[in-house]
Amino acid sequence: MNNPKKKGGASEIVRSHLKHQHKKVYSICRLFANTYKEHQRLFADIIAAASQSIQHKKAGEEKHTLLLRACLNMTALHAISRRVGPDTDRTIQFKSPDYQRSMLKFRDSVGEISDYEKILLFLEFEKVAPADIAELTGFIPARKQASVKEQPKKSFIPYLKEKLIWN
Amino acid sequence: MELKKVQQDWNSFPELSMEERPVLSPDLEKMVVNNPLTGAFYLKPQILGRILIAGILWFLNIYQWRAEYKTNGNDLYQQGALFFVLTYFIYFHIRLLLFANYPSLLSLKLVPFLSKIETVLDKYILSFGVVSVLAGFYLLALFEKALSWLNSGAYTRISENGFYKWLIVIFLSISFYILFLQSVIPKYKKLLTAVKMYREEIGAKSQKK
Repeated sequence: MNNPKKKGGASEIVRSHLKHQHKKVYSICRLFANTYKEHQRLFADIIAAASQSIQHKKAGEEKHTLLLRACLNMTALHAISRRVGPDTDRTIQFKSPDYQRSMLKFRDSVGEISDYEKILLFLEFEKVAPADIAELTGFIPARKQASVKEQPKKSFIPYLKEKLIWN
Repeated sequence: MELKKVQQDWNSFPELSMEERPVLSPDLEKMVVNNPLTGAFYLKPQILGRILIAGILWFLNIYQWRAEYKTNGNDLYQQGALFFVLTYFIYFHIRLLLFANYPSLLSLKLVPFLSKIETVLDKYILSFGVVSVLAGFYLLALFEKALSWLNSGAYTRISENGFYKWLIVIFLSISFYILFLQSVIPKYKKLLTAVKMYREEIGAKSQKK
């Protein structure tokens, strides 16, 4: 049944963590999914991604951080797939009437916002401190980026460096 | 957008619905074993498949190259060139697989995650160039084999003339690359552009704040 040593399965600790924290995953689905089907698929993908990340976590990485990163990364892939896909119907269609009503009300109050703003909104609702946002997203604050640009570049052969070093 | 109103609407979502029901252990068990990365975002099976096939061809090539060397055959330089192309092909794909590091890919921060996906897709598109060269070499071998059955005179003439063979290899490689450009590559290029645009879009927005 729920054998923790099962090949490809998650350990008991991972499963228990995900079971307690799955509301966070539902939260991001509210912002990025438009239909019941999309919602279910995105939820399952994020849970799978979080489980994989937590299982392969390095020392010093927190489970909570990895779960939030999995949420952001999978929603980004979801958004990209939707852009590439043939059908871009953005009608909100959920099965339960209460949820549909809440979703319409919520989307109406939020209005047309970009994915970046949706990410910030999600992190705001999850009470992530502004200082920790960079730790999840990798966004470099404008001031920091300016100081990075000011540093002299050490690249000796730019073309070869670009070809040989992948980043 | 008024944050207070948004927060109110956020809190008004039903506690329990078909969409947000508590997750059950059997459901969770099914979900965690799935691979969240699919399609062109997950190139591991393709890369591994290519390494495996190229590995087999590499050993075969070493055997043939040795035989050509021993008998001082006409295909000595051709086999030598093929050896280097195959070695580079295997090296490139192993490097790509190690770089992608799929098990820990999803634990990266959003922007580095998207950058990595972008690089992997870009390098995978580049790899079609080497696949075309290999296709050129192996199609020439097939062509020679067919010719040896159909017209032994033409076969002898071609196999003794290295210049013609190199021309055929170049022609076939370019033809194959054009074929890839028309068939497989656009799918990956489209996705690469979408990932790049998305990353740049959120990056630019974060700079404005």
